[in-house]
Order: sequence, then C-alpha cells, then structure tokens
Amino acid sequence: MSAASGDGQSGPNQDADRLFELPPELAIDTGIARRVLVDFIRNQLRQAGFSRGLLGLSGGIDSALVAFLTAEAIGPENLLCVLMPYRTSSPESVEHARLVVERLGCESDLVDISAMVDGYFGRDGNPGAGGEAVREAAPLRRGNLMARERMCVLYDRSVAWGGLVVGTGNKTESLIGYTTLFGDSACAFNPIGDLYKSQVRQVAAAIGVPEPIIRKAPSADLWPGQTDEAEAGFTYPELDRLLFWMIDKRRTDDELSAMGFPGPTVERVKRLVATSEFKRQVPPVAKLGPRTTGVDYLYPRRRPGSART
Amino acid sequence: MQPLRIALAQLAPRLGVLEENLARHRELLAQARTAGAGLVVFPELGLTGYQLQDLAAEVAMRKDDPRLLSLASETKGLSAVVSFVEEADDHRLFIAAALLEDGGVRFVHRKLFLPTYGLFDERRFFAAGDRLRTVESRLGVKLGIAICEDFWHLGVPETLALDGAQLLINVSSSPGRDLAAIHEVGLGTAASWRTLMRTYAQLTTSFVIFCNRVGMDETISFWGGSEVIAPSGEAVFTAPLFDEGLYTVDIELGDVRRERIGLPLLRDERPELHLRELRRILAHRTGLEIDEASEPDEGAGTLPPASRTTGRREKRP
Repeated sequence: MSAASGDGQSGPNQDADRLFELPPELAIDTGIARRVLVDFIRNQLRQAGFSRGLLGLSGGIDSALVAFLTAEAIGPENLLCVLMPYRTSSPESVEHARLVVERLGCESDLVDISAMVDGYFGRDGNPGAGGEAVREAAPLRRGNLMARERMCVLYDRSVAWGGLVVGTGNKTESLIGYTTLFGDSACAFNPIGDLYKSQVRQVAAAIGVPEPIIRKAPSADLWPGQTDEAEAGFTYPELDRLLFWMIDKRRTDDELSAMGFPGPTVERVKRLVATSEFKRQVPPVAKLGPRTTGVDYLYPRRRPGSART
Repeated sequence: MQPLRIALAQLAPRLGVLEENLARHRELLAQARTAGAGLVVFPELGLTGYQLQDLAAEVAMRKDDPRLLSLASETKGLSAVVSFVEEADDHRLFIAAALLEDGGVRFVHRKLFLPTYGLFDERRFFAAGDRLRTVESRLGVKLGIAICEDFWHLGVPETLALDGAQLLINVSSSPGRDLAAIHEVGLGTAASWRTLMRTYAQLTTSFVIFCNRVGMDETISFWGGSEVIAPSGEAVFTAPLFDEGLYTVDIELGDVRRERIGLPLLRDERPELHLRELRRILAHRTGLEIDEASEPDEGAGTLPPASRTTGRREKRP
C-alpha cells in the first residue's frame, strides 16, 4: 500500500494551489488520511455486522468525499447515494451529485423532499400539517426541517438497503455548530468529522472528487444563493486556521491576537463553539443508579456480541 | 555468533475477543517458527485489544491462566513477548507483557506508566506496575521489556540498560494522531516515536525492538511502523505503517559489544551521582529535607536565600 507507506510521496497534494486556498498549517498527508478513513469505514461496518452503507449526496464536497471513501472501502456496489433535493435546491447540486454517482458507479436513488417539507409548512397559500402558524416560518426553521426530513429518508432507506448511514459533516461545521441536530449530523459513524474543510478539500482532490465540486463555494443549499462563507462572515481558510490554533494548538486569546486574528472574530468564533457544545454530545442523563450509561458503565460501542448477526 | 532472527507480529487484535486473538497468536508463532525466528514480539494488549474500558475485567487472565500457559507451551525453542490484561491475586488489573520461553511463562512486566490524558484513560481501568527488572533470556542476553508509555519516561530505558539489558523491547498500542504534512511520515505520533527509539538505542547502546499494533479500536487507528534499531541508533528495519503482517529481521547481537567498546557511554554512566541527586530532589519535593538548613530561624540570616526558601520543612501532599 504505497498510499500510506510514509515515504512522503503522498504528502500535501500539488492540486491545493490550483483548486483552493490551503493554509500551510492545515496541510496533511492525504495518503495517510485516506488509508485511515477507508479502514475506519470498513471497520465500523464490519464490526456492526454490515457490509453496506448509504449517505445523502448533496452535490457538495463533503458528501462527495465520503462517497468516494466509502466506495473505496466497501466497493461501489455496496454504496447507496440518496439525492434529496427540495424544489428550491440549486439544479447544479443534483447535477454535481449525479457526477459523483457516475464517476463511482454506485447505486443511487432520488427522493424529492418537497412534498414532505411543504406538507408541514404548507404551500401556495395553503397551510400544511404544521398549521397557519408555520406558514411564514423563517428560513432557518425551514432549513432545519429539510435536514431532518433527509435524515428520515436516509434512515428509512437504510432498512431496505441493509446498510448503515455514513455521516458527512466536517470538523469546521461541527465546531461552530453549523449543523442541524438530528438532521445532517445524524449518522451511524462519521469518517470526516475530524477533518477541517481545508483538509476535506485536500483529500477530495487526492481521491479524485470532480473538480467543479471542489472549486465551488460551499453551501447548505437550504435557500437559493445561500453560501456558508457569506452566512458565516469569514472564509473557510480563515476559520479553519483560527479553529486549528484555538482548539488543536490551545492558543490563548492574547496569543491568537498576536498571530493576527482580529479580536472580534476570535470572540465570535469562541461563542459559536461554546454555544454549540450540546450539538456535539450525547444528550445527558441524570445520574441515579449504581451504573449509568456514559458515566460509569463504559463499554466499547463495538463490544463482542454487539454486531448484527 | 549466529544472527538472531526477530519476528515482529504487527497484528490487529479483535477488541475483547480473547479466543480469536489467542488463535491468531498461535498462528503467527507457528509462522515465525517456520521462518526461523528466535524471538517473536507481539504488540501491547495483542491478546485483548486496547480500548477495553469495562471489558478489561472480562478478558483478564492470571499469569497461571490455562489459556496463557497453553500459548506458552508453543514456545519450545522460542522466545516470545505477548501482552494481555493480568489480574493479580488481589484482583488489581494490569496491562502486562509476558516473556514466554521454552514452553513456559518466564517473566511478566506490568506497565509502569498509565497515560491518563488526551485520548488515554488507562489509570481509570488499570493499576500501575511497581517493578522494573530485566530478565535473563534463553537468547543469551538480558532483555528489558517495557510497554508503550513506559518508554516516554527516560528512566525506564536507562534503568534497564544499567541492569544489563542488551535488547530493549517495547510493545505498544500507539494510536496514530496529529496528522500534519510537516511531520516526517505525515503522522506526529510516528515522528515522535522514531526520535525516541533512535535516541534510546544510541544512548543505551542497545538494540531497541518496537512492536506496535495496527487496526482500529472504535475511533482510534493504530499506525504500526514497528522497528528494530541498532545500538548505533540506526534503524535496521522499519515495518510499513498500518499494514498487518509478520515481519522478520536479522540482527547481530555482537553489535552491542562492538558499539559499547567503541562508544562506552554505559561504562561512563554515573548512576551513583544520579541516585544522590534524585534523593535530594525527592526530599525537596516531599518537604522532608534532612539537612540542618531545613528549619531556619527567622533571624538567622547566615544562609544563602536559596537554602532558606527550599529548606523549609513543609508537608506538601
């Protein structure tokens, strides 16, 4: 396996400069990342007694990368990519998702979630199941429901497909809480949850994710024209660098300021990280009994006997 | 002198599945024997997997456990280092490495340093060993056996070498992390370990044999990269990262003598100096200095300021 031979051949990829901006401190050996993540996917499935996986393919880089990694881990014939556009989703998203499916030769399925979402919020002046009160719901609420409807579809399809839902959220969005709880963050396991967006891009380039997907502005595509960077107010390279120094390298506010990070940005990102702590943890349980899950009843998730037989 | 053939069993244990891991050990022992190995080294907790948590008690074996003895019985004419959870008579659980030789359990080392920081939580589940001893081996040299974190403490390789070890064996379950392109081989953990092992081999003028596991427990991936380093500090052999396998390498035990004659670092060690200063440092740390400066009178004024501040008799828990 030359991909992870540690000989430096598979180091920071040369595509970085051409396709995206890469802060040097976030450069990774993509050969090692790829090897570990492919093993991780294979192990997670095998230890749970599954040989198949499925994921929501949005047309963006994160789910495209996970699709490539999963196909490499278990073969494209064992991967189901579900495309779940809403009626206002950008047509380009579906096109890009199809590009990935074609490239991989994996199974795919298209579920238009418009009727599900409109069924709750209503459409064309008619109220839905949510009643009058939700007809004018803000985009955030609509976006959250879309993310959760997609989760519902994935978990339903997982039964018929006989596979586990593979997560597609990256470290950057997880840390700042740019995810919908029990929506896009819901999964059986997540291979890319410890990769910053800038690192996702490197692995995506190395594994052959189509360039238009790597180049385009990241977007949750929850409403037309939405982009992550416009919504957040900083670019991914800026945000990734800040999170890396703040969290991975434990730099203090003063040190971050001396490094040139603007005080207000640091403040804002710290607040985002702190206020989204709840999204990254299992819901707490009040301790009462002698042994409590997650507190003093601590078993590996994949203990002997835990696999589906 | 005949070269010694070492087999590094860079395997991926199944977490908590003792029987399967025992079978795999037997299989690799047989392979190593066929390959002409004299010493077979298995990784830390190779018999149980690493991320055991509350499973630790369920896979623990006493050192006279029939399953361990049965594995040992397959080492006639061989030396093997295997690692498991040892349950003591008083039911403390240890991370242990046993030297199996000529059909029996010759020696057991209990992990001395239990990392409980970062991604590690060993002290929660295990007791720390208290003994650091070398062991006379059928190979004609003394072995110094250590487990993973034991090697992140300078005194361990030094003590083993002073106690006569010529082969320092470290068995590990080192989780790969700190993925960054700036590191040699792209993995911070691997870069650090390589530095340590070369340094220890050179400074103790001993062979360093490192066997690290591969595979994954839960979210953690183990990076392999097992190595044999010569007493000169040069790598004789480096196993691939992440690939499971039984890797053999030949070493000349005579290299230890050659290196120690040419570079008599071990001869020149000053353990008595070390011991004296350690006694002083310990006394100071525990507030039990016994020199007369320990209780200065407020008005004495004849002592240098340093002694006055450090000489105070205080109990510091």
